[in-house]
Amino acid sequence: MKKAVWLGMATSVVIGLAGAFTAQAQQPSANLAASGLVGKLEGPEIISDASKWPKAFQEAPDLAALVKDGKLPAVKDRLPSEPMVLKPLAEVGKYGGTWRRGFLGPGDWENGNRLNASDKLLFWDPTGTKIVPSAAKSWEQSADGKTIRVNLRKGMRWSDGAPFSADDFVFWFEDLYSNKDIVSAPIADMSPGGKPGKVVKIDDTTVEFQFENPHFLFIDFLAGDTLIGGGQSVRQSQGTTYGAYAPKHYLKQFLPKYSSEQSVNDKAKAEGFENWVKMLHFKKDWTLNTALPTIGPWKTTNPINTPTWVLERNPYYWAVDTAGNQLPYIDKVVLTLAEDSEVINLRAIGGNYDMQERHISLSKLPVVLDNQQKGGYKVHLDLALHGSDTTLFINQSYKADAEIAKWLTNADFRRALSMGIDRKQLNETFWLGIGTPGSVAPSVQMPQSPGKEYREKWSVLDIAKANQLLDSIGLTKKDSDGYRVRTDNGERLRIQIQAVKALLPWPQQGEMIAEQWRKIGIQADVREMERTLATTRTRNNEHQIMIWTNGGTELLYLFPRHALPVDPTEAYVGPEFATWFSSNGANGRAPTDPNLLKALELFRSASAEKTEAGRDKIAQDIWKILVDQQYMIGTVGESPAQFGVRLVSNKLGNIPSRSCIAQHCRTPSSSHPETWFFKQ
Amino acid sequence: MSTDQTSREEQFAVATQWQLTWWRFRKHKLAVLSGLIVIAFYIIVLFADFFAYADPHATDSRRSHIPPQTIHFFDDGAFKPYVHGLTQKRDLRTFKLSYQIDPDRKVYLELFAEGYRYNLFGLIPSSTHLLGLKNAQPEDGIFLLGTDLVGRDLWSRIMVATRISLTIGLAGVTVSLFLGVLLGGLSAVYGGVVDMMIQRLIEILRSMPTIPLWMGLAAALPNTWTVIQVYLAITIIISFLGWTDLARVVRGKFLALRNEDFIAAAELAGASQFRIIFHHMLPSFLSHIIAATSLALPAMIISETSLSFLGLGLRPPAISWGILLQDAQNIETLALAPWLLAAAVPVIIIILAFNFLGDGLRDAADPYG
Amino acid sequence: MLAYIARRAVLAVITMAAISVLSFIIIQAPPGDFVDAYIANLSASGSSVSAEEARGLRILYGLDQPIYVQYAKWMSRVLVGDFGESMEWHRPVAEVIGDRLWLTVALSLAALILTWGIALPLGIYSAVRQYSVMDYILTTISFIGLAVPNFLLALVIMYFAFVLFGANVGGLFSSEFDLAPWSLAKIWDLIKHLPLPAVILALAGTAQLIRIMRANLLDELRKPYVITARAKGLPEWRVIMKYPVRAALNPFASTIAYLFPYLVSGSIIISLVLSLPTVGPLLLKALIAQDMFLAGTIVLLLGVMTVIGTFISDLVLMWVDPRIRHELD
Repeated sequence: MKKAVWLGMATSVVIGLAGAFTAQAQQPSANLAASGLVGKLEGPEIISDASKWPKAFQEAPDLAALVKDGKLPAVKDRLPSEPMVLKPLAEVGKYGGTWRRGFLGPGDWENGNRLNASDKLLFWDPTGTKIVPSAAKSWEQSADGKTIRVNLRKGMRWSDGAPFSADDFVFWFEDLYSNKDIVSAPIADMSPGGKPGKVVKIDDTTVEFQFENPHFLFIDFLAGDTLIGGGQSVRQSQGTTYGAYAPKHYLKQFLPKYSSEQSVNDKAKAEGFENWVKMLHFKKDWTLNTALPTIGPWKTTNPINTPTWVLERNPYYWAVDTAGNQLPYIDKVVLTLAEDSEVINLRAIGGNYDMQERHISLSKLPVVLDNQQKGGYKVHLDLALHGSDTTLFINQSYKADAEIAKWLTNADFRRALSMGIDRKQLNETFWLGIGTPGSVAPSVQMPQSPGKEYREKWSVLDIAKANQLLDSIGLTKKDSDGYRVRTDNGERLRIQIQAVKALLPWPQQGEMIAEQWRKIGIQADVREMERTLATTRTRNNEHQIMIWTNGGTELLYLFPRHALPVDPTEAYVGPEFATWFSSNGANGRAPTDPNLLKALELFRSASAEKTEAGRDKIAQDIWKILVDQQYMIGTVGESPAQFGVRLVSNKLGNIPSRSCIAQHCRTPSSSHPETWFFKQ
Repeated sequence: MSTDQTSREEQFAVATQWQLTWWRFRKHKLAVLSGLIVIAFYIIVLFADFFAYADPHATDSRRSHIPPQTIHFFDDGAFKPYVHGLTQKRDLRTFKLSYQIDPDRKVYLELFAEGYRYNLFGLIPSSTHLLGLKNAQPEDGIFLLGTDLVGRDLWSRIMVATRISLTIGLAGVTVSLFLGVLLGGLSAVYGGVVDMMIQRLIEILRSMPTIPLWMGLAAALPNTWTVIQVYLAITIIISFLGWTDLARVVRGKFLALRNEDFIAAAELAGASQFRIIFHHMLPSFLSHIIAATSLALPAMIISETSLSFLGLGLRPPAISWGILLQDAQNIETLALAPWLLAAAVPVIIIILAFNFLGDGLRDAADPYG
Repeated sequence: MLAYIARRAVLAVITMAAISVLSFIIIQAPPGDFVDAYIANLSASGSSVSAEEARGLRILYGLDQPIYVQYAKWMSRVLVGDFGESMEWHRPVAEVIGDRLWLTVALSLAALILTWGIALPLGIYSAVRQYSVMDYILTTISFIGLAVPNFLLALVIMYFAFVLFGANVGGLFSSEFDLAPWSLAKIWDLIKHLPLPAVILALAGTAQLIRIMRANLLDELRKPYVITARAKGLPEWRVIMKYPVRAALNPFASTIAYLFPYLVSGSIIISLVLSLPTVGPLLLKALIAQDMFLAGTIVLLLGVMTVIGTFISDLVLMWVDPRIRHELD
């Protein structure tokens, strides 16, 4: 048996030891510097000093023609008296042009949302680290954190010319959000400590969000991609009604409160809807209803549920450049339907798109680079800020198999699994050497990073130590093929890894990881499954290990679900715990692991923490626990794998050399696409 | 000479039907060749791991996308096949991988070499392979058809894939065949209500969308089954839907044959329905059934590849032709590693072979020829 | 005859009812529902759905009700011609399918014409000149079409068309015509784009047809009446074309049944690879997204086409083979 074991492991072990093999010892940064594809984070600057603002304004030629015909008010009447003044990155641009993009159908509605994300009240700067104003002019927070005041821009208008004011916020809160027929339950964003807050008008340009408990995170929520802060485009389409404001003058005709239930239902039936609620959901969806007033740079003129989704300039957009030109420069955005993402890639390579970062896969990078000249575009690589594109989430609330549950909840077991992964190999094969191997902790550039030490803790290949750890916890016996056996019945211990072929080739990566784990005697079965099935199984607490990205966790409080079990819709680390947490103990099951409990407790305490520095420290402490306990095993991150391969036509100007790829940056909106222009 | 002729005629006269069939089959050269090819493939099925030389599951990023390697057959005039060592390099501007040959290092091939462990016929442990390297360093290897993205040798994977792809279709085809003939025959012989119900059943089954059925079944089967067990189960279930084609054709032919004199004679002689169907009618269109069956197997193989393409058939870590083709189904493979398309070659060959074989069998069995 | 048709009509209705129930069940068979698929889709593209949103959506779409209630509601609407709204496309199902239906039929017809136009003559030639060199060559070429997995072929052809000719990739229209209303120019653009997909679609079917045609015709050519015809001095082409070919076409009557659903769905796989805006990919995506009304309606449509097809196929069989016709009387 010994000889057989030796023979079986011989090839793989020896190959593993053949270190002096190739020239692949470069650090990622050296790779990327040589390629010249990664620039520095940059973007237009907001000029807040009113003395530097332009005094006269210009507009696009077709708008000027409309003004001459009397169909549109003059540009200075369309702009607010306090517009957002952007200093373009390179130069003042020219009007004109149609931006061609590719999309996959109504399910890919984020494709357009993310161009319009400046309709958020607050946003993040192009580096993704500082909160800046967007649709709102400024904000204040009371010392006790219970009141947040948002100041709007005087004279700002909706895309149909009606004034944008605090009334729209009160309308949203009282007539939409509080109406149980429209929104079935209050959201956590608006209910710190479980007590719902309210929205109050102070005057036409001042809105207050008032809470009973301190809600220091609220500003971050408004700036991030959250239910309350996400903006009208994404948060009021597809049947949801969040986003803090809504066009009162337009939507009120569809509500029973302003006429009667009978009349709105009649109206609905006349237009082919089942009832007024369904009609309302259609009417407030910017991707479907071309008559809906919006405040983003472009509005839909041909809806998303057709082969060509067309967006055209909003004549009342509230931003100008430093020379007084009303933005956006680009007239139109045309998104053409492709049935398959492979076709999108092929069309992109053929130069059929002007700027496309969505659906371009990293594995095609060499082909994309090869065709730059032929296609007339340039490639930029944008690196993400989260720790791991391919994260193994180990289900802490798994219970179907007691023996497996015992090991999944054993920290040393998880650490051993983590140390058995050869991240360099994964990086070379799937990230072309571009990613950064490490743990789940975010990039050290982020303020919430616990430090470099935690990027590497338990996350470096060490077969000997891994084997040692596994032996020490009781998994000493192995079968004839060298795999460790269960302690309950002596059969081979098999761990199931659930993987979906989605953003990255996770099933293939899972296979490579499973192969690597042979050396530590662990057998992993990778079950590739269809996306919906995986979601359902996870929701039902059936999975053992799930592979997914931990994107969004670079700012932990804005998108915690890929780090902590707090949201039952996507809780890979412990669905039952997520139910427990979100229902405040009413349903689900509480974790028994003291470390996990501590992490959740820290998370809960953050919204009562006054200062940003204080909250960042809490986040760091949470990360320290998570990395040390390895509830999630990180592999390779900080890469361009998720929307980071950006193809930009040579005709476009003011393009940043690197843009922020992160959940909160609403890529590409934080780079201000409204300042991009066609050079000829 | 005349004695030869007469003796041949005599042989002819006293030959059994099977001998006649065999002689006629032999004349169709292409069919015979195809038959040999099919046999060769099934030998590979039995000895798949022996014909492979690299562990089809072993991943290694240092062998990613190696192009097919040249084997040099003569070393200084003597027949001593060898390959060179390889060094991997990634271009830091184009991110492409390339391999440099190390001209000084020659590694010699040998037959019946030691390699990875496997179980012959699933029972007998062995580690002998047809090909191997002598005194190889761990980084050396044979790469007849190159490697895939994660460094697995394509030739070895094709060998192992043959096993699954060829055996799994058999089960499905057998079930379909049996059901098709039985139900088509019953439908024709009994007519009336039976016919009507079976025809309606066929219509219903025929309009059933198979894709959601697959998706649902894949989800409903027990979690603990291996990928292959799941696939086998699904294949058999799908074949319960797949007999409809054959049934309709059989019914058509039966209806046409029912009024033949020899059937009337058999009925008058008191033969049972069963005997009439299987002993008298069936041989008349046996050729058609053979043709249909020989098309069904390749159809099963094609459907396996299509389903893998849609992500509904076999899934990794199982290895089948469909899975190998799925790896090749993207632009970066076409542009950077086109040798991976070689996985289509055995598919093409075996389908052609089955078709020609079926043709030959049909011609040979044809009683009118 | 009339009684036969009436009887078939009644049976057709029963069949359709059974098809609708089974399809509905199967479409629901994969675990989860549309909202799950929606959540899965969103998280896979890097976005998010909160628990509250998910709950709201379920109520909105009526997915919180038991399956038989959902089926009953759906059926009652279908019977009055209201096919419901697609949850993914937010448009009436009839519109979503209607958009693509004509294109699908056009493409399928093109492929069918190509297939039969090539396969029949080649099949006849193959049978008449059995074992000749041409027979082998033709058979081999056609089999390559059958043997090469068509999705691979489609991708390879598409890629090389792009690399070598810079051809516009996939789709049935050039970009300038996508949005334009129907005009002669647009129809011409469509015709220009049809050959490539039609050829790829035709390849697989051609081989099968050639084989079967060849096999059938060989069977017929061996029959005594052919020898009689020749002996009687009929020119060779009449000997072959007038009777054997007609008889050889007999078994094809059974296959007519399946042409009808094919006309409407096209080939799912090739349409996916080539990004053709046909009904096939629509069905696949609807099934994966569990977009009930859309998937259910398409399946019902396929069911109707199959039932019609089977009926016509049986009629043709009766017309072609008088023995079967006379049995009815």
